Amino acid sequence: MELTRRQLLKLTGLGLGGVLYTACTYDLSETRVESPTHIPEDLVAGLDTWYATLCRECGASEGIIVRVMEGRAKKIQGNPLYPTNTGKHRPGCEGALQALYHPDRLAGPLRRMVKGVGQSFEPTTWSLALEELSSQLAKHQSDPRSVVIITDPLRGSAADLMQRFATSYGARHVVFEPAEQTVLYETTKRLYGSEQLPHFDIANASSVLSFGADFLSTWLNPVGYMRQYGQFRQGTGRKRGRLVHVEPRFSMTAANADEWVPVNPGMEGVLALSMAYVIVSERKGDQSAADALTGGAGADALRAFRPGDVASVTGVPAEKIERIAKEFADHQPGVVIGGGSAGAHTNGLFNLSAIYSLNLLMGNTNKRGGVWLNPQAPLPELRAQATATPLGQWQPLIDDMKAGRVQMLIVRGADPLYGIPKALGFEAALSKVPMVVSFSSFMNDTAVYADLIVPEHTGLEDWGNDVPQPGPGFQTVGYQQPVVREYHERERLQADRGSRGFADVMLALAEGLPKVQQALPWKTSREMLMDSARKLQGLGKGSVVAASFDRFWIDLLANGGWWDTSATSTATPPKPSALPTQRRDPQFQGAGAEFHLMPFASNAMGDGRGAHIPWLQAAPDPVTTAVWGTWIEINLGVAKEMGIKEGETLRIISPAGEIEAHAFPHPAIPRNVVAIPMGQGHRQYGRYAQERGANVLSILAPAADADTGALAWAATKVRVEKTGRRIHLPKFEGTVELPTQLEEGAIIKTTKPV
Amino acid sequence: MVTTRVRHKWGMVVDLDRCTGCQACVVACQAENNIPINLEQHFLQRRAIEWIRIERYWEGLEEAEKTGDLSKVKARFIPILCQHCENAPCEPVCPVYATYHNNEGLNVQIYNRCIGTRYCVNNCPYQVRFFNFWQPTWPESLHNQLNPHVTVRTRGIMEKCTFCVQRLRKGGRKEVQEGKRLDDKEFDAQSGMFAPACARACPTDTLVFGDMNDPNSRVSTMAKDNRNYKLLASIGTEPNVIYLKKVDLDASDAATH
Amino acid sequence: MQAETPRSGRKALLIITGVVAGLLFIFVGLAVVPRVLAHYFWPIERWYRSAPVQPIDFPHPSHVQVGGIDCLFCHRTVAKEAMAGIPPVEQCMFCHKIVAKEQPRIQMLASFAERGEPIQWMRVHRLPDHVHFVHEAHITYFTRKDGVLPSQVCSTCHGDVGNMQRVQQVRSLRMGDCVDCHRQNGAPTDCFVCHY
Repeated sequence: MELTRRQLLKLTGLGLGGVLYTACTYDLSETRVESPTHIPEDLVAGLDTWYATLCRECGASEGIIVRVMEGRAKKIQGNPLYPTNTGKHRPGCEGALQALYHPDRLAGPLRRMVKGVGQSFEPTTWSLALEELSSQLAKHQSDPRSVVIITDPLRGSAADLMQRFATSYGARHVVFEPAEQTVLYETTKRLYGSEQLPHFDIANASSVLSFGADFLSTWLNPVGYMRQYGQFRQGTGRKRGRLVHVEPRFSMTAANADEWVPVNPGMEGVLALSMAYVIVSERKGDQSAADALTGGAGADALRAFRPGDVASVTGVPAEKIERIAKEFADHQPGVVIGGGSAGAHTNGLFNLSAIYSLNLLMGNTNKRGGVWLNPQAPLPELRAQATATPLGQWQPLIDDMKAGRVQMLIVRGADPLYGIPKALGFEAALSKVPMVVSFSSFMNDTAVYADLIVPEHTGLEDWGNDVPQPGPGFQTVGYQQPVVREYHERERLQADRGSRGFADVMLALAEGLPKVQQALPWKTSREMLMDSARKLQGLGKGSVVAASFDRFWIDLLANGGWWDTSATSTATPPKPSALPTQRRDPQFQGAGAEFHLMPFASNAMGDGRGAHIPWLQAAPDPVTTAVWGTWIEINLGVAKEMGIKEGETLRIISPAGEIEAHAFPHPAIPRNVVAIPMGQGHRQYGRYAQERGANVLSILAPAADADTGALAWAATKVRVEKTGRRIHLPKFEGTVELPTQLEEGAIIKTTKPV
Repeated sequence: MVTTRVRHKWGMVVDLDRCTGCQACVVACQAENNIPINLEQHFLQRRAIEWIRIERYWEGLEEAEKTGDLSKVKARFIPILCQHCENAPCEPVCPVYATYHNNEGLNVQIYNRCIGTRYCVNNCPYQVRFFNFWQPTWPESLHNQLNPHVTVRTRGIMEKCTFCVQRLRKGGRKEVQEGKRLDDKEFDAQSGMFAPACARACPTDTLVFGDMNDPNSRVSTMAKDNRNYKLLASIGTEPNVIYLKKVDLDASDAATH
Repeated sequence: MQAETPRSGRKALLIITGVVAGLLFIFVGLAVVPRVLAHYFWPIERWYRSAPVQPIDFPHPSHVQVGGIDCLFCHRTVAKEAMAGIPPVEQCMFCHKIVAKEQPRIQMLASFAERGEPIQWMRVHRLPDHVHFVHEAHITYFTRKDGVLPSQVCSTCHGDVGNMQRVQQVRSLRMGDCVDCHRQNGAPTDCFVCHY
């Protein structure tokens, strides 16, 4: 193209003008200052207010305070008053902010007009959605068992509401949690006669012996345990505590332990009984308990577990078993914690019973530095137990779904399609249900199959309460209040869309069902909460006491709940029953495969509930520092032998399926174990989680604990194959590098305990 | 004097024996300080921004390999944030005085002065300064969460830990109003509203923040602990962040003592 | 072919010179010229002295002088918070339900209140995002120093707003202005006081 001088000058002038014009303009909104029509105190510009509520991002009960400016949540911190976490929080709690303002949050109810996964959703209004739900529920009243409600483990008033709804209607209520605690609940019941999980007094213990429970990362109430762990290590006026951790995987707890004992998977119980043998034969521990546990026969009753005899099956040398048992017995008070993968075997109950029997043997129940039983919730309607439905009971349900005996499936707070082992055939069953309703605020794997999605509020927008499980050793009830403007408030007010609270929707649905309405005499969830609060006020004790209910209600919400430190458990634990005299070995699925598969909850994203939060995706795994993906931890030596380098894509084949993950050659994982984090591999779930990594839960074989029927998620064996592909493993390590050759030695300096 | 201004010298003590590496501090810092979302490609390019980070060091690898005993392997965690050095190597190299040491013991970074030469990040032995290689972007809806008290840094600007100065300033104003030094508890990690976000989040109380000028503050008492040491002390940077040694049953020779 | 060599060298030199000259021209054109022009024809004084037209012509004098209303009655948070605060429409209507109902401007106001629509006022004073100015600290200092009421401090920076029919900025409020005043009053001039 020919360009004359004149044209060039013209173009230059135009360009210059354009640049000047764009450079000298700015966002016009910056020149405006808005004067709203109404201005409640919390909407004043520049003013920040902290409101107390509860964190609903994971199963643990944590009180939080939320910084709110101009009706928007800015920051979350732990509530210093709340007994379980006393002012601190996990990375996951902070995720509530990004969940609230997530770009892929559903802005209103969606209806699928044509049945089928490929069909598109169409926006609908709440009144139409509720109308449809009511008419469906009314229609199936004659056959109420054909209505199934799946929820996450609920506690507090929500659990009460759900139970009343399900019973009065006659619907089936199923509770889903990927890593269920059924075995732990059963153990507590059998050993301590308590429906509540116990409180471990780690802060006052001299030694802690833990089996499989990654309590410094994700197990039960990690913030509470970490609060205590700090004290345990360097609390004032006490000697530094000793932590020994037994687990086949190098977890965060193992990394922080004074001694990590890698054990053969499923052999934790045998190891614990072997330690019991040592303690009894050395005549350490509580003599009367020892008599009861051994049926009066003394160490002889446990001779099947002599360290020398079990060393090979457990993979722990005999002298080590003896030393650890003796050290534990000598450093009292001590507490034994068990759970996680130790209970996730076909002999899970055997393992956990054996582990917790060590506590009985030391006689540390309800003693300083021991195991404290938790009291019942202060009111019968505040339900504290949140057991998931064990895997054994899912099969009949799935069969019913397949046979068309389930007409309506309501899913709330859980993503069963993501979490249930694929081998159960839940996916095929789901498409046989004529009406699937999802309460999810995000398009998750299960919601893809839904016919109607009615998005519920996120935790910061909703009412609720909670009875911590495990409690802090005394009666505690947390209260949750909406701390911010609903993000989709305008849609709700103007277009009858937006989100609503789950409890509110259930109460609204009850209105059309006379039987249910009788059982649920409340109009809104707030009314329901106030009702329980009135009863708490009536007790006239605890952290909040007030003459008038208004005062009580305000104080209750401002403090984030009610607790009574003097209301501890009064129940006396039953006399210990005799320990098993014979070994019970775990059964594994996938015989012949060389590796035990250890799935573990991701430190930041948990069992996958937090995968849609970019902060949590970007929070490095503490040990591997891996981010934004799924990796497989494989022994460094084995990797070398197989010629596997970091980032190499491996195919992991179990009897139930296969997935691909990137290798992380790990210096501290046993040669016969591979570990894969949970949390990734969502088909949907927002832009940050969708199609990212692989879902380890999907390849678990449907093995169950023999006694409770709970999913034995550590009982799968897998083969590992190379695919020949390799990527650069995204991880934080290497982003910055401190000088390694230093005059003064290592970056992290160590010293012997005084 | 119309207003009494309290002279502070902010400092932090990091007790390595308590740290579990849980990342609560890292996420809390990102939420408080409008740190851009670290996407996968940022990690792959080694340009992720974490004002406070947890580093993991392996120990005993050779011994484990020799004996085949995996339990000899140890992973140690250390939170590393700007050390707010008294004698900071990043300061003299800045051609525009965008970074300097202020009278509260803070090593500061003035965004509107910074021209992005990146000399400071190359001179920082702790690698705690981060350069904005991109214009930070958030999806529109996530703008609601941004903290209005912290500037959103643009492309081409260096950023680093400020000890959450927006909170300290708020505390300072309260001090001026009340005309006295605030109680140490107000800046304390346990429940203090003016403590930095990381310390306020830390579940094990690994991070303790406070005024080194206050002889009774928790941070000055803990800084005198006999386990104390300074990171890369031989360089002579005089950090205001004091580490307390990790206690290890197997700690052996005096070299690592 | 030999004769070609020096010529091609000169050609390269010419191209380089051309490119450098071009870049210089663009730099001068984009960065220098506008600044010089702006300095002479559009001085900062002119910018801040402009009194923007407001959606409702709000007369400060009739409220302050005639009505005798204190600054803090409407700008409620000025002595407590970073921002002075703009009153909500609701607050205007406390009085204007009764007072001067028949005036067209008040009727405009009432219609905003009826529709529940926020009023988008034009901003008169505006600081960039990287400056954290706190009203409260300045009010506290001057009230203590001079022993005056908070509302007597406002005019230090904002001028005699009470007598302005249409509010305009009277000081440059650029960094030099801030620092001068900080120096005079012994206030900290540490960058980190305002920039973080």
